[in-house]
Amino acid sequence: MASQAIIFRETKGSKGFFTLLAVLGVFLVLGAIAFFYAEHHGHHVTGMNNQTVWGLPHVFAIFLIVAASGALNVGSIGTVFSKKLYQPMGRLSALVAISLLIGGLIVLVLDLGHPDRLIIAMTHYNFKSIFAWNIILYNGFLALCGMYIWTMMDRKVKGFYKLAGFSAFTWRLILTTGTGSIFGFLVSRDFYNSAVMAPLFIVMSFAFGLAIFILVLHFAYKWTERELGEVVMNRLRNLLAVFICGVLLLELARHLTGLYIAQRLGVETFILRDGGIYTQLFWVGQILLGSLLPLGLIFCRKLANNRTALLLAAAFTILGGFAQLYVILIGGQAYPLTLFPGAEVSSGYFDGAINSYAPSIWELMLGVGGVALALVMVTIGVKVLRFLPDSLSDAMVDPLK
Amino acid sequence: MSQNRVDEYRRKFVMALGGTAAAVTVAQGFILREANAAGEVSSRPLDKAVTSDKRWGMLIDVTKLTDGGAGMVEACKKEHGWGNEADSDEAQKTHWARVVKVTDKLTKNSFSLPVMCQHCEQPPCVDVCPTGASMKRADGIVQVNKHLCIGCRYCMMACPYKARSFVHEALHDQKPYSPRGMGTVEACNMCIHRIDNGQLPACVEAAPDAVIFGDLNDPNSTLSKTLKDIGGKQIRADLNLNTGVRYHGI
Amino acid sequence: MTSKFSNILLAAALAFAGLLAGCDSAPPPTNLATAKQKAEQCVEPTAEMRRNHMGMLMHQRDATMLEGIRTKQHSLKECVNCHVAPTKDDGTPLHYGDEQHFCTTCHAYAGVKIDCFQCHADRPEVAQDPNYQHTVGSAEGHHFTQGVTAAAEPTAAEVQMVAQPQQGAAK
Repeated sequence: MASQAIIFRETKGSKGFFTLLAVLGVFLVLGAIAFFYAEHHGHHVTGMNNQTVWGLPHVFAIFLIVAASGALNVGSIGTVFSKKLYQPMGRLSALVAISLLIGGLIVLVLDLGHPDRLIIAMTHYNFKSIFAWNIILYNGFLALCGMYIWTMMDRKVKGFYKLAGFSAFTWRLILTTGTGSIFGFLVSRDFYNSAVMAPLFIVMSFAFGLAIFILVLHFAYKWTERELGEVVMNRLRNLLAVFICGVLLLELARHLTGLYIAQRLGVETFILRDGGIYTQLFWVGQILLGSLLPLGLIFCRKLANNRTALLLAAAFTILGGFAQLYVILIGGQAYPLTLFPGAEVSSGYFDGAINSYAPSIWELMLGVGGVALALVMVTIGVKVLRFLPDSLSDAMVDPLK
Repeated sequence: MSQNRVDEYRRKFVMALGGTAAAVTVAQGFILREANAAGEVSSRPLDKAVTSDKRWGMLIDVTKLTDGGAGMVEACKKEHGWGNEADSDEAQKTHWARVVKVTDKLTKNSFSLPVMCQHCEQPPCVDVCPTGASMKRADGIVQVNKHLCIGCRYCMMACPYKARSFVHEALHDQKPYSPRGMGTVEACNMCIHRIDNGQLPACVEAAPDAVIFGDLNDPNSTLSKTLKDIGGKQIRADLNLNTGVRYHGI
Repeated sequence: MTSKFSNILLAAALAFAGLLAGCDSAPPPTNLATAKQKAEQCVEPTAEMRRNHMGMLMHQRDATMLEGIRTKQHSLKECVNCHVAPTKDDGTPLHYGDEQHFCTTCHAYAGVKIDCFQCHADRPEVAQDPNYQHTVGSAEGHHFTQGVTAAAEPTAAEVQMVAQPQQGAAK
C-alpha cells in the first residue's frame, strides 16, 4: 500500500481554463447555429436523403456514445478487477464517460426530425425496439456512473463502491451490446444484420474510449502542471494496443463471413474493393492510419516511453474510429437494397444504384458541437469537483518500484 | 317569423342534407359491395373500431399492367400530394410508390412493377420504431402515427423495400385527408382514409383490371380465391415478412 | 435593504395579479360568423369548446389513428371545414399563419404554440370540392345526424330561407 494517500484536487481557475472554455464555446455556438438552421429549414439543408438516412451526425453521435462506455473501462479495471494502479483514475474515467455520452446523445437528439418531441421518446416505449431499449440503457448508464462517482468521492457511501463499480461495468457492456444491435437487428441490410455487431461495438468502445481517455488525461495533467508518470501511461499504452488488435480481429471475422456468404458478396466487394471513398476510408483510414500506425507507434522499441508517440497513437485510433463508423454507417447505406436477388433493378428512385451522400457543413458543425460539449463538461467537471489526483507520478502510483 | 323558427328550419334542412348523404354512405357501407374487377371494400361503420377479422391486401397482376404501374403511382401522388417538395433534391423528395424495372442477370428476362409499402404481417419498421409511431393497425395496414414520430429514421433503415420517405422541408396545403409534415416519416398507408370510408385505394381504382383489393382473411373473397388460383409472390419472400401486397407475374 | 426587497416582491405580486386579472378578462373576439352560417351551435357548448377542444382533438386523433374511428363530431378536419372560410382577397381560405384564421385568433392571444398544422391541412380544400362545407353533418356520429331519419324533407320555403343564411346570422 502506498505510504502517501492519493489526494484529489480541483483544477485552478487559470487563464488556460478560461481560454479552453472560450475555444470550446465557439464550437458549441457553431453547433447550436447548425441545429437551429436545420431545425428551421428542415433536413433538406443537410446531406441526408431518403436513401442515406443516417449521416455525419450519426457518425459523431455513435462514436461518442460508443467511446463513452469505453472511457469507463479505466475505472472498471480498478474497481472490478481490483487493479490498484487504475483506481486513482476512476473518478475521471466516469466523468469522461458521462460527458461523452451526453455529447453524443445531444447530437443524436438534435438531428431528429422532431427534436421537440424528445418527451415522446421518453414516455412512449415500444419494447420490441432496440432503440427504445437504448434510451433506457443511456439513462441508466448516466445514473450508474453518477452513483459510481459518488461512492468514490463520499466516504459515507464508500461501502457501495464495489457494488456501484460492478453495476456500472455490467451496464456498460449491455449498453454497447444495445448500440451494436441497432445495426445487428436490421434484417434488410446485408452489411448489418449480424450478431457480431454487438461484440464488435464493445471492443470498438474499449479502443475509442481508452484513446480519448489517454488524451484527456495527458492534457489535463500537462495544462494544470501536475505530474503524470510513465508507469500509468505505459499501462494504458499496452492496453490500447490490445484493444486495437481486438477490433481488427472482429473486423476480420465480420468481413470474412461476408465474403464467404454469396448473398453478402456484393456489399463486401463494394466496401473492400469497389466503393471509392468508402474503400479508401476502410483501408487507409481505418486499417492503415487507424490501426496499424497506432500499433507501430506503440510497439516500436525506439519509441518506448515516448509520450508523443502514445498521444499520436491515441489520436490516430480516434481518427480510425471515425473512419470505421463512417464506413459502417454511410458505406452500409450507400450500397443499394436487394429487392430481387440475382437481378438488376432500376427505377426513377435510385433502385439498384449506389446511393450518394455528401455531408453538409451543418452536419459537421453539429457533430463537432457534440464533441465540444463533452469536452466542456470534462473541463468544468475537473474544475468544480475533485476528479483529478494531485499527482500520478511513478512514485505515487507504484511506490514499490 | 322569429329567429328561433328560422334556426329550426335551417337545422331541419341541414339534417335532411346530412340524412341524404348519410343514407348514401350507409348504402355504400352496410351492404358489402359485390366483387367488381378491383375487389371488395370495407363495410365497417365509422364509429366502430377496426378488428383483426379482416386483413386488407392486394394482388397486382404485373402482366396486365401495360405501363408497369406508372398510372398507379400517379394516382397515389395525386391522392396524397407527395413528391412535389420544392426545396428537396431528387434524392430527398418523398416517394410513396415507384416503378421498378427488374432484369434477371442471367436470363435477361425483364418486367416492371410498382413498389410501395408491402404491408407486412411482421413489419421490420414497426419492430424497430422506438416510440411505437410506426404501427400496424388491426386490419393489417402499416402506417406512421405522425403524432408520435420523432423523425429518427430507424424505420427507413429497417425497411427492405425502401418504402418510407422522410419529409425534408415544411409543407403547406396538404390534403385534408392525408396529413403530411416536416420532420416525420411517411409511406403508403393503403389509402386508409378511403378504406375506412368504404372506397378502394387510389392506385387500385387507377388500375382496376390489373389489381384486386380485398380481405386476405376471408377465403371467399375474390382476392383470396384469385391468389389460390393463380398465386401471388412476395418481394423478398426470403425475409418471411408475409406481405399484404402480392404480385403475379414477377 | 429588507424594505427594498419587499417592495420588489410586492411589485412582482401585483404584476402577477394583474396578469391573472388579464387572463380573466374577456377572451379575444373569435370569428364565429363563418361557422354560425352553418349551425347555431358548435359540436359542444361554446364554453366547453373553449376549455377542452384540445382534449377532444387528442382523443379523436388516437381513436382515428389506432382504431380507424372516423366520426365527425370531434374531427379536426370538420373544425377546419366549418370555421375556416374562403375570405381572403383572392377567394381562397385563410392559412393558420394569417391573423384572422379562426384558430390563430385565439392561440395568438393565449400564447399557445401548436404543431397540428405542420401536418394537417389548415384550410378546407375549396377548389377541389366546392361543396366541402356540406360535409358538416353528412355522416355517422356527428351530432347533426342524430334523429336524421325523423327529419322531414325541407319545404321550398325552408330551402329558400337557408340559402340566404346571412340574414339569420346577422341578427
